[in-house]
Amino acid sequence: MDGGVIDIGYPQLFAASALMLVAGFVSWKLELGQEKSIAVAAVRAFVQLLAMGFLLVYLFRYQTWWLVALVLLAMTLCAAQIAVSRVRNQVGGLWLPVFATLLASSMTIAFIVVEGVVQPDPWYSARQLVPIAGMALGNTMSATAVAVDRLFADLDARSDEMFALVALGATPREAAFPSIKAAVGAGILPTLATMCAAGIVQIPGMMSGQILAGADPVVAAKYQIVVLLMMSAATTLAIVMISLLTFRKRFSREGYFLDPGLR
Amino acid sequence: MPLFEACDLSVAYVGGGDGAPVRLAGVSFGLEAGAVYDLTGPSGAGKSMLLRACARMMPLAAGRLLLDGTEGNALTCQEWRRRVCLVPQRASLVPGTVRDNLLVPWALKVNRGRPAPSDAQLAQLMDAALLDVPLDRDAARLSGGQAARVALLRAFATRPPVLLLDEVDAALDDESARAVGALTASVAAEGATCLRIRHRPPDGFARGVFRLEGGRLRPGLGAEGDA
Repeated sequence: MDGGVIDIGYPQLFAASALMLVAGFVSWKLELGQEKSIAVAAVRAFVQLLAMGFLLVYLFRYQTWWLVALVLLAMTLCAAQIAVSRVRNQVGGLWLPVFATLLASSMTIAFIVVEGVVQPDPWYSARQLVPIAGMALGNTMSATAVAVDRLFADLDARSDEMFALVALGATPREAAFPSIKAAVGAGILPTLATMCAAGIVQIPGMMSGQILAGADPVVAAKYQIVVLLMMSAATTLAIVMISLLTFRKRFSREGYFLDPGLR
Repeated sequence: MPLFEACDLSVAYVGGGDGAPVRLAGVSFGLEAGAVYDLTGPSGAGKSMLLRACARMMPLAAGRLLLDGTEGNALTCQEWRRRVCLVPQRASLVPGTVRDNLLVPWALKVNRGRPAPSDAQLAQLMDAALLDVPLDRDAARLSGGQAARVALLRAFATRPPVLLLDEVDAALDDESARAVGALTASVAAEGATCLRIRHRPPDGFARGVFRLEGGRLRPGLGAEGDA
């Protein structure tokens, strides 16, 4: 797979950081006040990706099933942390449901894909499991954060309607159901859009990477198809799960909606 | 024995942001079957909050609620709210037609197994409230007064023993308000009881008046109507 790969020298890599000046310049010119965030983001991307690269080198060399599992767990923990921090709505106690959702959706689907479709040897091969699980995690992480935001924004917008429904004897699930439906529907759209644009508008990240690394484009396409299908399953599962696990946070134990005065 | 009883209710509502906190302490009252009562008091006295507490839609700091002698917590909250039905001040309808909205209660688990009213029965209710719109009308196209009546009628249609009406006639013209008052009295006459928050002049349908002021409930300054 590394037949035609052209390594990037470190001087060139650091020269490429000049590209961040574009975003920095725009931020400065428009007084967005984002210069610091841009610098931090650039440094984080640098450090984290290189660290991941070095880590993977060692992981591939000394892999055991538990070491791979440990890496996947650590990735899920970080993804949960990032997803929770991205939620703009004021919702407490999100960490555990988000972690459970990411673990159940990404890891289950990634595992099914790796063991059922790719079938590596050994079965816990980090070279396949880590990147595929990582892609699933990255997507479900964003989808989960967006779904929570959307769900709670919709619940808050429908507070009068839900109040009326609860007063008629509706359970929290019955009152919240239209919002859950809206959140799931909206959450599935981006994945579907990516699938429709794949191959026409853009060569998705993974396929681009494999082609750049010298892989046969048809092999790369097959992998990409599997990955896109995986994303669609994982994000759908994640959105449904996080919605069902969290909507009750806006309801009391007695089943009425917690408006801002009661929270 | 009153059909509905509230004993020593204490409730506190912090309020969302700008609203001042409202507290009620030691509020007790009883509602007899077959009668309509009015609840009056200055704005911000906690009238809506009291109705909400009676429907078990906010936390009670202390007190008991009794329906026909049965303790509130002997029923699930959903069963309680089906029997002690609060109609909020702001009429909020679900997307769909007038019929969809009137039949909303029958889509809920708590009413499973109960037959939904027919179109003819719905039309009869709407006539009584002077609501002259087709059942197929999109609910989003109703006026404020029409929407308020749809929200009220869907509660009436479920025939709850206790109705808690929070200024449901505020958006109505005098004639419709009078019709809604008469309909409320006729529903109560079939064995239900009703507590209404009203800011309109007395309409003669109330058997008793409660006044809420300074966090306490005082019995009415002379009952009006037929009592």
